[in-house]
Amino acid sequence: MRIRLFLVALLVMVVGLGGIAYANSDTLVIGSGAEAVGLDPRLETDVPSFERINVIMEPLVKFDVEMNLVPALATDWEFSDDALTLTFYLREGVKWHDGKPFTAEDVKYTFEWVLDPNNAAPNRGLYADIDRIEVVNDHVVSFHLGKPYSFLLNNIARMPITPAHDGDREDFRQAPIGTGPYKLVQWTRDDRMVLVANEEYWGGKPNIPNLVFRAIPENATRLLAFEAGEIDIYQGGVVPQELPRLEADPRFVVQRVPGTGYNYLGFNTQVGALSDVRVRQAINYLINREGIVTRVLNNIGTPGVGPVPETLPWFNPDVQRYEYNPEKAKELLREAGYGPGDISLRLFTNENPDRVRIAEILQFEAQQIGVKIEVFVEEWGAYLSRIQETDDFDIFILGWSGQLDPDRAMIRQFHTDGANNYGKYSNERLDYLLEYGRTVPPDSQESIEIYREAQEIVVREVPYGFINYSEEVGLHHNYIKNWRVHPYGAGAWQDVHLIVKER
Amino acid sequence: MIRYIVRRLVQMIPLLLGISILVFLLVHLSPGDPVRMLLGEEATEEDVERLNAIYGFDLPLHIQYFRWLSNALRGNLGVSIRQGISVTTLLSERLGATLELAVVSVLIAVALGIPLGIIAAVRRGSLVDYFSMILALVGVSTPGFWLGLMLLTHVALKVDFLPMFGRDGSIFGGLWILITQLRVDVLLEGLRHVLLPAVSIGTGMMAIITRLTRSSMLEVLGKDYIRTAKAKGLNNQVVVLKHALRNALLPVITIIGIQFGAMLGGAVVTETVFAWPGVGRLIVNAIRQRDFPIIQGGVLMMAVVFALVNLAVDISYALVNPRIRYD
Repeated sequence: MRIRLFLVALLVMVVGLGGIAYANSDTLVIGSGAEAVGLDPRLETDVPSFERINVIMEPLVKFDVEMNLVPALATDWEFSDDALTLTFYLREGVKWHDGKPFTAEDVKYTFEWVLDPNNAAPNRGLYADIDRIEVVNDHVVSFHLGKPYSFLLNNIARMPITPAHDGDREDFRQAPIGTGPYKLVQWTRDDRMVLVANEEYWGGKPNIPNLVFRAIPENATRLLAFEAGEIDIYQGGVVPQELPRLEADPRFVVQRVPGTGYNYLGFNTQVGALSDVRVRQAINYLINREGIVTRVLNNIGTPGVGPVPETLPWFNPDVQRYEYNPEKAKELLREAGYGPGDISLRLFTNENPDRVRIAEILQFEAQQIGVKIEVFVEEWGAYLSRIQETDDFDIFILGWSGQLDPDRAMIRQFHTDGANNYGKYSNERLDYLLEYGRTVPPDSQESIEIYREAQEIVVREVPYGFINYSEEVGLHHNYIKNWRVHPYGAGAWQDVHLIVKER
Repeated sequence: MIRYIVRRLVQMIPLLLGISILVFLLVHLSPGDPVRMLLGEEATEEDVERLNAIYGFDLPLHIQYFRWLSNALRGNLGVSIRQGISVTTLLSERLGATLELAVVSVLIAVALGIPLGIIAAVRRGSLVDYFSMILALVGVSTPGFWLGLMLLTHVALKVDFLPMFGRDGSIFGGLWILITQLRVDVLLEGLRHVLLPAVSIGTGMMAIITRLTRSSMLEVLGKDYIRTAKAKGLNNQVVVLKHALRNALLPVITIIGIQFGAMLGGAVVTETVFAWPGVGRLIVNAIRQRDFPIIQGGVLMMAVVFALVNLAVDISYALVNPRIRYD
């Protein structure tokens, strides 16, 4: 009797729940590599948080998949000729998820909150040049700058607008409202975030009624769940070895697009042998970029050239190229007065397996020409503290992401007073160019010339050895249409309301 | 007995105090800083200093500790630096998932491990014995995460009924609904999600229990009183299950207790593989991000649970073997 009951129960289980494994056609399921920290754009710094924020809220302007600035909550904008006043004309008729109208006051509120030093906004530095925000009328708002900063617009594109009437609510960070295509319904941390279409979205009612984010930290599990159909779009770090198989499978679509980041060797330019530019150039000639991209990175990415991504108009294709050349490296060391066995360097990296392998390859190459490199692998937190707080290193491996313009790609890293100039590099001409570049309209020929010269200096003097440019990989089922992988990565979405699920 | 329990509970106070100081020192003296982790590669020194002042990290260490302690004594474990949510909320919303996984794994391990161990001991040297010992060897040497991935690739991908990841509803809640409303669906939904992670954790534990039960049984079965019981003409089954097993179980219970305690914080890898929203993942992420309040509160909570499990083990000795008394 008991056994029969058990069998009946088992049958109910199998029949009743067998179909649930597949996501419904009216729900888009995103498999995300990590849980969001929170949903307040003023406080978050991580990609998984912005992955979710960007379907709920919107910035004034945003980057499309071709990396052009396009209207979002602002329909138009203009920078004064002196690069001191930036005026936005806001979209009319936009409503917050609670029905209240979106106005210029919301814009003022968001940026003033970020700028208030008493608030814990981590990215305050991006907007620190803003002196005053003026509400001209409900739909026009002007930013007055203390000093010219012609690339401010790119930073504005990183900050979704929060509502003035609701943004101070204690649990806003966990349950925000926005103007975006989807509204938050429920969030179970480390498990799922459930959203529903915003029927009154200004861009039109979203095609798919429900949107769910699932946080699945293990790449292998996320991929299996994707293949089993429990996930429609796979975000965050495809295992490179799996790509050929996935690309060959007709059920899946793999999209690839050049990214906005790069990996580099950072040199401590102030101490020991590395303070000699010829030694830095010699090490740079030892980086086998082609080999690293094919063997270590499994062809995700392209060989590095300079600090500016190849897709941006400022990219200088004529800079010196450091093709792998140990003979040239030996020659440069001889010129600098170093023989085999004279140089011993300490190279630090974090536990990122690709970076560890790159470090070991460099160690081997250096050994071949008589330069000793010791490799130290450190946990991320300890590593970051070493690089930022001390100069107790010779070489380090790190990466930058989101290099949307040449200012962002150079001034923090290479200006003598740059906040992230960890190798203490300094060049007077470069400082001048980087400061002057901020006062020139970004779309002018002058801007392009300034930054091409700046790249020429950086590549010649080697404060960094550029290893590779990043590449973004998108993965989704073939029944998903109108979704494109963004060069800015998983944190950026393009027209999520237009995505279609045909099953 | 009551006096004994009270005394043990009082003894926990200095223990917890010591642990909290140790953890506090460990997290604050190790390199890495929460504000830098928050700001990442792009940090400016100005922002680092400003945020350190906002969070109070610029105060001397002993003042930071006493601040934390005085709050903790009032039941306030602080607020996560990263998420801005109270640590008690973050821990309590995950404790259910962790306990559920631990309980189901232990049940699986005990239900298979003890009978296998008994059979292997009673039929020592037989095929069954060899088979169960090989199984135990394989089980104890199989890493949980690998077994988890194998189960996903070869079982979950082929059996629609088993999901690939995540948790859906609590099985404790499901049990309650079954009892009160006679509805089985919530319980089944919970079970189908917990099954694979529980098997991948439970396998290693089952292996240990099998081996331990076997050796402990072998020892007891050689004792004089067993020979006496057999000589009296008692049924073999009664001798094994009643006379031998009760005595052989004491070390097994200890191991189950330790394993159960370890699972509360140590199931991180399995929690990650199956995207199980448990306490382990929370604490390991907090360590990576140097989110001090979560680390402090999480370790303290685990220490409390571990101490309570130990107490429960000691009490259960008395239940299994009435000759053991606590005064």
